[in-house]
Amino acid sequence: MKRGLIAWDKEQLPPAVFETRLARARAALAERDLPALLVYTDVWRSNQARFLANFMPYWNRSLVVIPREAAPVLLCALSPRVYPWIKSVTVFEDIRPASKLMQTLDQLCAERGWSGLGVLDLPKLPVEIHSGLSGLEIVDVPSVGITDPDEAEFTMRRRAVVLARKALEGHLQGALEKAAVEVGKFERQLRQLGAEDLVIRVRSRGSDAYSVSVALEYCGHWVKVTRAYGPADEVVMLERRFQAALTDGDGYRENLSGPQPYEPGTGPIFALHVERQGLYFGDTCTGTEPL
Amino acid sequence: MTNAINEHRRRQLMDLMAERHWDSILLYGNGWRKDFFRSLVNVNYSGPYAAAHLSRSGDLIVWVTDPWDRDLIPGAREFAGALPKASAIVGLELMETWMVPGSPVSATADVEELRRVKTAEEIESLRAAADLADRGYRCFADTVQVGIREYELVAEVEGFLKSNGAEDNFMLIASGGTEVVGMKPPTDRKLQRGDSVTTELTPCVNGYYAQICRTIVLGDPSKGQLESFSIFSEAQQAAQDLIKPGIRASDAARAQNDVFRKYGYGDYTGAKYTRVRGHCLGLFPDETPHILEDVDYVIKENMVLIAHPNTYLPLSGYMVFGDTLLVTASGNERLNATEKKLFVKETA
Repeated sequence: MKRGLIAWDKEQLPPAVFETRLARARAALAERDLPALLVYTDVWRSNQARFLANFMPYWNRSLVVIPREAAPVLLCALSPRVYPWIKSVTVFEDIRPASKLMQTLDQLCAERGWSGLGVLDLPKLPVEIHSGLSGLEIVDVPSVGITDPDEAEFTMRRRAVVLARKALEGHLQGALEKAAVEVGKFERQLRQLGAEDLVIRVRSRGSDAYSVSVALEYCGHWVKVTRAYGPADEVVMLERRFQAALTDGDGYRENLSGPQPYEPGTGPIFALHVERQGLYFGDTCTGTEPL
Repeated sequence: MTNAINEHRRRQLMDLMAERHWDSILLYGNGWRKDFFRSLVNVNYSGPYAAAHLSRSGDLIVWVTDPWDRDLIPGAREFAGALPKASAIVGLELMETWMVPGSPVSATADVEELRRVKTAEEIESLRAAADLADRGYRCFADTVQVGIREYELVAEVEGFLKSNGAEDNFMLIASGGTEVVGMKPPTDRKLQRGDSVTTELTPCVNGYYAQICRTIVLGDPSKGQLESFSIFSEAQQAAQDLIKPGIRASDAARAQNDVFRKYGYGDYTGAKYTRVRGHCLGLFPDETPHILEDVDYVIKENMVLIAHPNTYLPLSGYMVFGDTLLVTASGNERLNATEKKLFVKETA
């Protein structure tokens, strides 16, 4: 579960950002003449609901319904006792208890007179949810064009990657056998800085060298930073390879929105990892699921 | 791969396949629900997906997504999305529709039942997790103070747990007075004198989660907080005194709720103010059956569960209290060693 800080700083991420994003979703509905868009979310697959409504379930699963001409509705499997808090960190005003998600969805559709729905990335819907839609006419609405990252998204990812990079500077210089202790220090440090969730891993290359990856979620934005620790000359060579790959396209690089400069200190907005002799170095800022 | 394989579970699955005339079974895990996969291949993969395919002839194929996970499971294949057909899938309900091979049936409920009764090895992991929960709560109680923010407190405890071998943790928190109606992830609220600070702490060791629930008051407890705790304490003890093989989950829930009813707080035992009166523990921190008055499930020896009468009371706001219990042949054994009391932190 997510057990770090989940907060909404409206200066950092203004409500207008979400209005624009919801407008994109509504435009996709209008194009297809659909009355509403269904977005599945759970504690692990929270990125799309977070992008559209700033909703990040700390546990369990929920459904976001975006009507074409009305405010979004959250069908929530969490207790109504936490709804005031959910309202304080999301765009939702209308939250409905839904321990039985599909039953509550049916009720909403009946109430609004909908016989069909668009589903964001239908093939990725969990089987249980998909089979529960059997009474409705459903249309796949691909997320391309709806949840494509915008400038606000990139800004948040940069903030996240800066946190992760900072934590990896100067850490883990001690003995590898103390890896658990070091991982604990990372956890403490990053959560104190406001990390919402973390996955930290250490990969040993024998006794003399290892790589550490920190996947960090900051306000719902996932990034992963990997750094190597070992003989200085090897680490230098690895970093050079990374820099060369940025320029030459060597290694794995996923550019998200056309050419973007690599910005040391602020964070790149693409995924690039290189490996050399069992050591790893890279930044992944695709901002999607736990990486 | 051998060390990671739960041989007991493999035999159980082979028997299940024979009984149901299934040719193969697939165990699927994602980032949220690792437990279905880990019930056979107990490796803390980082994901996002993992799957294990066991055939009736005993052949096992494992897929993982992250290349680093292949260090943990030598011989594992890269998960590229295409999985072989299987007669039945454990975790089918959670699988993304595009991944489902063929038209399998769900084996989720069958395997959840197989998992409920723990082996000696599983119980050792749960004991270790309960011990870490105790130490984690000590860290929580030592760290909590007036002025600290909720998320800063949780960061300290998380750091402690990870430094001491926890793979994961399920943790909720709340702070404040009678206005607090439930728990959630930490906020940036600063703790104040007089606050009740509640937590469910659930570290995971070797894949297995054990839980402790305690409430600490900053400064002298109010009359309401003391009165409230005495009700919670009596309710938890009522369940602990009752739980043994043969009783029903509903009995354990009713024993707790009856204490609240006795003191005139029966209204606060329903869904409006609380979720469950306990739940099973294992490879998932919230395993079924839940301890509720409408759950008709017979408790068995070597099940591990928590009885916690956590709810809102107008006396104190939301309060929590509970321990992990191992069901023995004649009763139960409390796996937590933390003192059963309302904790109090002196304030300046």
